[in-house]
Amino acid sequence: MENTSSDIRQLNEKIHQASAFVDLLTMELGKVIVGQRYMVERLLIGLLAQGHVLLEGVPGLAKTLSIKSLSSAINAKFSRIQFTPDLLPADVIGTMIYNQQKNEFVVRRGPIFANFILADEINRAPAKVQSALLEAMQERQITIGDTTFKLDEPFLVLATQNPIEQEGTYTLPEAQVDRFMLKVVIGYPTKEEEKQIIRQNLNPELSTPIRSIIQPSDILEARKLVREVYMDEKIEKYILDIVFATRNPEDYKLNKLKPLIAYGGSPRASINLAWAAKAYAFMKRRGYVIPEDVRNICFDVMRHRVGLTYEAEAENVTSENILSEILNAVEVP
Amino acid sequence: MYKQQVIRRIFLCCILGLLFPFSLLAQQAVDVTAKADTNSIRIGEQIKLQLTAKLTAQQFKDANFKVLFPVLPDSLDHFEVVTRSNLDTLVNQDQHILHQTYTLTSFDSGHWEIPPMHFEVFSGANATADSAVTLPIGIDVNTVAVDTTKAFKPIKSIKGVAWSIWDYWLYIVIGAAAVLIIGGLIWYFRTRKKPEPVVKTPVVSPYEIAVRELRTLKEEKVWQQGDIKQYYTRLTDILRTYFEHQFNIAALEQTSEELLQNIKPVTKLNQQRDKLRSLLAIADLAKFAKLQPTADEHTECMQKAEEILEWTKPKTGPAEETGADTTLEKA
Repeated sequence: MENTSSDIRQLNEKIHQASAFVDLLTMELGKVIVGQRYMVERLLIGLLAQGHVLLEGVPGLAKTLSIKSLSSAINAKFSRIQFTPDLLPADVIGTMIYNQQKNEFVVRRGPIFANFILADEINRAPAKVQSALLEAMQERQITIGDTTFKLDEPFLVLATQNPIEQEGTYTLPEAQVDRFMLKVVIGYPTKEEEKQIIRQNLNPELSTPIRSIIQPSDILEARKLVREVYMDEKIEKYILDIVFATRNPEDYKLNKLKPLIAYGGSPRASINLAWAAKAYAFMKRRGYVIPEDVRNICFDVMRHRVGLTYEAEAENVTSENILSEILNAVEVP
Repeated sequence: MYKQQVIRRIFLCCILGLLFPFSLLAQQAVDVTAKADTNSIRIGEQIKLQLTAKLTAQQFKDANFKVLFPVLPDSLDHFEVVTRSNLDTLVNQDQHILHQTYTLTSFDSGHWEIPPMHFEVFSGANATADSAVTLPIGIDVNTVAVDTTKAFKPIKSIKGVAWSIWDYWLYIVIGAAAVLIIGGLIWYFRTRKKPEPVVKTPVVSPYEIAVRELRTLKEEKVWQQGDIKQYYTRLTDILRTYFEHQFNIAALEQTSEELLQNIKPVTKLNQQRDKLRSLLAIADLAKFAKLQPTADEHTECMQKAEEILEWTKPKTGPAEETGADTTLEKA
């Protein structure tokens, strides 16, 4: 059914009211997390757009604190899984254990049964553990023995990767990385922010505990509204142009990018770009998507979906460079 | 009895002895000759020695019949071979005459003989070999008579060659060709049609294009026909294209917010920032949120666009001169 002008106006008003919690949530998280607004914003996009987030950053950038605080603010269950080389799939999803008293096998649920999962240093675990987690992320259900368990909603996985250490790691294959809606690269806080971090840590009494602002059910309601956010055909075309430019740059007069791109964005990239743009529009308290929304989340959605050739790596060309070129060449509607 | 036998043998021998030369004659059957054009030369002069072999037509056709001419070395006794001609064939009625000419000379005075020439003749299926021999030729080689009573004369100077126009024919031809080419070129350049002066069509400035397109948009009454989205799409595209060509801002590839940021360094344009912002905001709503602005808003947006154009209208030239406040790197 086609949206009419009045529908969109109503939706806009509805979203304007419903999305008020986003600002409250950001403010609440701001009590304990100094800076890193970008990361928090991306976590919320992932949460609202039913996506998962892969974080890349050096240790000590408040990754764990962020997701822990977010879960506290939403009153959701949080669990942290430290990925190690000896981790087994059963350590993540759970297993059947024998109960001698009852003389039967009972299910012991793994840490994945939570709303917010922090998969810390996901690339330290072998492929079978990674794929167990990623399957759960995709299917949002777990099968242990003969029983299938639906995972609680909202379900958000925040996986982290350390970009510095590569020894003894199992790099996530392209197909697995593609399952993450966003890949966020976070950097160090500013000098001012870091000064505040020091003060906050030296005087714990200054920091106030996180209050529960909303309930998980509110997130589920917000997700329904995100789905309703109006996306015009022009915006759809813009998204397609960006994704197709990563596949066939020569069609967009970007012939110089052709030898640098091994593979472009998958259809999942287009889907996630649309979802994330809608979520971003929702967070900006709008009932419709504008090109700014697409551009704003484009790098985080696309950077892990553009494969680079050896030539590009030799020339120190990054996927961000390629995306910048594409965004500067594709006409905005 | 014995006597009769002896007589019979003697008789047989006589018969065979008489017949033997005839059999030789029948075998040879090739007439070979060596003939000199003179029998007397002065020392160093040349003699033409012609070797000839006459064959019948039947012999010539016979595949097994071959005559090999003598191959003279470069030097014979008292004679030197100057040149050798190729073997030539002359057909004369039922005779085929093969002949070869040697040019000989001699530097020894006296009477000398050109030795007999041996022709090899092969005939029959078994290629029976035989020789045919010519007669020797006597040649008198005379010295130059020197009058010893007279005094020695000095060496003669080099004799000049008579001047001939043909010695210079190549230079004459090249010179004539050069004169012709130069003359032709002069004629071509003098007589060719002069290209008609190119009428330079005035370059339409981005401002003029934008004004014209805005006028067209107005005349087409797009929003009046209910196509609001199309109206605002075209309106913003006209402005963005104008900014791109006039101020080198990649406006077509920028969002409204980015555009408002990037016009900041262009002072003239930045002065119209508020107008542009409100226009783009309404246009974005119409394009992406199905907003139906009022008729007044449509007119107002058009008016704002025209005002922006008028304000930023270049004073000289089609494109604004690059300057510190008007240039912007294409983002």
